[in-house]
Amino acid sequence: MHLLSALLATVSQTCPVYAPFFGAMGVVSGLSFTVVGAGYGTAKSSVGISSMGVMKPELVMKAIIPVIFAGALSVYGLIIAVIITGNLGNADYPLKKSFLDLGAGLTVGLCGMAAGMAIGVIGDAGVRGFGQQPKLYVGMVLVLIFAEALGLFGLIIALLLANKQDTDCTVAAPA
Amino acid sequence: MADPGVIWGSTFFLVTLNPRIWAGLGVGLAMGMSGIGAAWGFAIIGTSMLGASVRVPRISSKHLISIIFCEAVAIFGIISGLVILSRIGNNVVEPPTPTDFKSSYILFASGVTAGICGIVSGLSVGVVGSGCALADAMNGSLFVKLLVIEIFASALALFGLISAMLLTTKASVDM
Repeated sequence: MHLLSALLATVSQTCPVYAPFFGAMGVVSGLSFTVVGAGYGTAKSSVGISSMGVMKPELVMKAIIPVIFAGALSVYGLIIAVIITGNLGNADYPLKKSFLDLGAGLTVGLCGMAAGMAIGVIGDAGVRGFGQQPKLYVGMVLVLIFAEALGLFGLIIALLLANKQDTDCTVAAPA
Repeated sequence: MADPGVIWGSTFFLVTLNPRIWAGLGVGLAMGMSGIGAAWGFAIIGTSMLGASVRVPRISSKHLISIIFCEAVAIFGIISGLVILSRIGNNVVEPPTPTDFKSSYILFASGVTAGICGIVSGLSVGVVGSGCALADAMNGSLFVKLLVIEIFASALALFGLISAMLLTTKASVDM
């Protein structure tokens, strides 16, 4: 316990030793959950595209649009991961800032995962219908846009959280 | 002696473990989970590919490209593991400094990010490649079009690699 006390006495209460852990977990959750959503969206809609493409190969290139929507979600996660990584590089990293970064990562991650799962199901059913009725394309894209908006909302809030500048280690905690 | 600050629950666990545990876990998880993803992809593609090539022999040679996409996921895992490993130096300074703790959390997060992105990407490439093999067996013009979807799926592991490499630059050089 002497080592522990000596170690923790070297930094103030506002910037403890364990603060970067939560920021780093923000990076993990931000990128990992959005990639789960993107992967699910890609895989599920590709099953539909493969099935539909056997009968209508000329429509396949148009039907790849759900995969592109799903791929954009992983880019949202990468954006937040890069911003939080920049925050982690600061010499002074307060504990309250690390919790904001964790929140940002969880926000974009879970919203992106939800959006990706929606895009997968929509893409699968949508391209199968599009294969039988080409006029269905606009309707499918409209529904996909609503699903993508979920990921976008997560990105907006995560950007607001992660961009709060805070490198102040001198704020004294109440006695 | 100054007040060591709030130590509650998991944060006590964070500071009493030697920081090199986190760094080692990061390396292991980066490579290991990427390997699991790649293997899972191989299994999914392999069954479909070999089953389809019973009736259509050209499938078994053409769809080795899908297998190579899965292998790329594992290679991204190796690269991530090596990048994280290069930050673990031979200078073991006891007791660990606060910079050591921060570097260890960052290396752990790099490893978990690369690992989870590898698992998801491997699964996704597997499902897409399986659909591609079965559709190609029925209609030969679909191969190149469905391969475009596999590129999107493989890009997910690349995002994990990029994020892991970027995050590792924030860890100190000789941990």
